[in-house]
Amino acid sequence: MNPPLLEVERVSKEFGSGPTLVRAVADVSFTTDPGEVTLIIGPSGSGKTTLLSMVGGILRPTSGRVVVNGIDITSLKRRELPRVRRELVGFVFQTFNLLESLSALENVEIALNIAGVTGQVARERARALLCEAGLEQRLHFSAQALSAGERQRVALARALANEPRLLLADEPTANLDSEAGRDVMALLRGLTESRGHAAVVVSHDPRLREVADRVLRLADGRLASTESDGRTALLEAVASSPMAREGADSLRRVARAVRRSRLRW
Amino acid sequence: MVPLARRNLLSEKARFAMSIAGVAFAVLLILIVVSLYRGWSNVGRFYTQLPGDVWVAQPGTSDPFHSTSFLPLADAQRLTKVDGVRTVIPVYARHIAFGAPGHELDVFAMALDVPPTVRLRSNTYEPRSGTIDIDRMLASQAHVGIGDSLRVLGRPLVVASIHSGGNSIFQTAFLNAADARALFGIDDFTNFLLVSVAPGARVATVTAALHQALPGTETHTSEQFATSFADRVNAGFLAVVGVLVGIGFVVGGAVIALTTYTATVERAREFGVLKAIGASGTFLYRVVIRQSLIVGMLGAALGVASAVAATRLIRYGVPEFITVLRPLDAAGVFAVAILMAIAASYVPVRRIDRIDPAEVFRA
Repeated sequence: MNPPLLEVERVSKEFGSGPTLVRAVADVSFTTDPGEVTLIIGPSGSGKTTLLSMVGGILRPTSGRVVVNGIDITSLKRRELPRVRRELVGFVFQTFNLLESLSALENVEIALNIAGVTGQVARERARALLCEAGLEQRLHFSAQALSAGERQRVALARALANEPRLLLADEPTANLDSEAGRDVMALLRGLTESRGHAAVVVSHDPRLREVADRVLRLADGRLASTESDGRTALLEAVASSPMAREGADSLRRVARAVRRSRLRW
Repeated sequence: MVPLARRNLLSEKARFAMSIAGVAFAVLLILIVVSLYRGWSNVGRFYTQLPGDVWVAQPGTSDPFHSTSFLPLADAQRLTKVDGVRTVIPVYARHIAFGAPGHELDVFAMALDVPPTVRLRSNTYEPRSGTIDIDRMLASQAHVGIGDSLRVLGRPLVVASIHSGGNSIFQTAFLNAADARALFGIDDFTNFLLVSVAPGARVATVTAALHQALPGTETHTSEQFATSFADRVNAGFLAVVGVLVGIGFVVGGAVIALTTYTATVERAREFGVLKAIGASGTFLYRVVIRQSLIVGMLGAALGVASAVAATRLIRYGVPEFITVLRPLDAAGVFAVAILMAIAASYVPVRRIDRIDPAEVFRA
């Protein structure tokens, strides 16, 4: 049996001290296998984003362990964490967080530059990713000139640029209309299946329950419940739709293109 | 590589242009001040253009402009017999006041009593009796031209020629030697003796012989007078120049720092995003330092180009301000501007260090 791609073991995070001490995440444990989509839901302030930040090596847990692809990132030194974030993890944010002064192509290319891939190689790889994401007509558009759905697709391409093992998405559909949200989730679902990667998605969007393999519900920083029967009719509907199929096929091609020049950990 | 630094700066074109203009202005200010300083330092070169190598003077003379000297005129004859001496020219020199329409001007008047056996290349130094040669600055300030008359020590002298030069510190005029003796009232004396060394003779050897021939006098080469003059001018100007150059650098540095800092703070979230997706500190510092360097280099280049243009304009439009812009000074100021740009990125770099990548999760 393959080990899980992500192991979160009794992770807690506290902010402040004394009377102002806040326990944002308390004793949360879960695992995610390759090809799985794990959805974390919960009310505002329940610790979802804090948990995601710890899984991505942005925040350091107060206690507990996070293991990504066999690497205990909680034991790494602070200066080693950026490498984890650029090579093992891809981030998709609620507000897209594209660099406004750059074009769509450059937004993806810069993620490659950060990982040391530069010049024509980086440019071609970024172009391929955006073409596969259906943005071949928008390559040189400024990030500001793109629609919300297009921005999120650029953000997804950026997250995939260095072929991460784990994709972390924070409310990826919150700023999208239902159609664009469905597109993005189809891409995300297709990615995890085609590439054997894993995704952890934080969301309020009830539609996402149906594309998730596992749903974790957080309340007051604690894991309140786990559902493992995630994928239902909507997933099947999404997976069987022509757009999703095309998206999944595209992503497989992207994955192959990226794998050819992948960075090794 | 994605030119993020350039894009960040160009996203606010007006501010970018103003930043470059700010740095350019500071560099221009520095270079103008430095070129004025160089110009004043060169004013003393005037002595080296006169027809002689060694000046004989009374002890305690700094240079003819700043101090005077009296020597018996007969000493000139004694010196002509010294080995290695080609010519000896008595020089009369003093400051005199000119009556110009509406105001009075101070001029440094000289007369060279050139022996009949000596021929000078230029007639400037020996005008005919009743005439005067003045520099362009004096002509401009006195509003006179060739053929006009000037009253010098109560006597009218006709402007015979106008030579180039002059500045806001001092103007020069050459008188006929006989006129000078009469006007200055020193028939049997001269102020200095300007000695030309014969071809093949060594200046040091001749100088030693001059001392022997005329004990109780001192000698200075034209070069020493020029240096002495420059030292005195510099002593008065150096502090002012230093302050102005310092102000220029502070202004330039502040403009670069402010531009880079603002561009960094405004894009703090984006730098946070880059941190979140794995950008190393070095990667981000490079972006910030590049931003600084772009502003610094473009500003400095524009500043140097403006300074070249400005010094030319000054030379033709305001000749009393002597400006000498040396390529080495321009290169030095450019290099310092670049160093300033690197130093100015220190604060924005520290700011980047404090950006928390977790902030990017906030909607």
